[in-house]
Amino acid sequence: MRDRPSGFGNPWLQLVLSVMCVLVSELLLKRGATETADPASEWSWTGINSLASPLVWWAIILIIISFISWLYVLKYIPLTIAFPLSRVVDILVPLSCWILLGEVISVRRWCGIGLVVVGLALVAKPIARIEERL
Amino acid sequence: MTLLSLFFIVASLLSFVGAQIVLKRAMESTTKSGDLRSLRFISRMAAGIVLMTISFFLTLGLLQRFDLSYLYPFQGLSVIIITIMAAIILKEKLTMQLTIGGVLISAGIVLVSLS
Repeated sequence: MRDRPSGFGNPWLQLVLSVMCVLVSELLLKRGATETADPASEWSWTGINSLASPLVWWAIILIIISFISWLYVLKYIPLTIAFPLSRVVDILVPLSCWILLGEVISVRRWCGIGLVVVGLALVAKPIARIEERL
Repeated sequence: MTLLSLFFIVASLLSFVGAQIVLKRAMESTTKSGDLRSLRFISRMAAGIVLMTISFFLTLGLLQRFDLSYLYPFQGLSVIIITIMAAIILKEKLTMQLTIGGVLISAGIVLVSLS
């Protein structure tokens, strides 16, 4: 890893920003796609009719923001580290459903969340060492 | 799940993985030359964006047919696939710790979406 900017240009901060945008956009996409679902239509496999929903357009704006910050992340962090870390979003979605919506999380789901956390810790550990050397 | 839906699930996954590899390549070429107008950077960036767009619309099409919780385990596999691809194609260093971490994250995502 090379010398990198600090502050807003810090790639780790950009990774967090990217993940947050993805989290919100996933929820918007699911709602937008469900609203406009029309499986009988010939073209529906392409998903193009989802563009009728404004929620999908909001999601697209968030995806573009997350894409730009993700490109910035790619410039500084190896893919083998950045990509697994970006999947923290996969536990943030069920966790935000639990906290915000009061949904119940089953034992099996808690086990899955635990596995992801351990995996993230393993991936993130070498970073601490790399950062120390800088 | 029909053969057709499996095909679209795999297609959306592979276009997503391909996009990440191409984009990483594109951003790496900017650190070497620093020139955003170089043909190499523009062509890689364009290919990455096209692949991302394909994967985006295929995912939307799948979301219209299946629950998000059904589709998510497949997205979880992308962690393993990208880690392996980055090691092979981009020659990134893959430690045992990174491999185990990637497998645990994928397994966790699958478990979360199955429950």
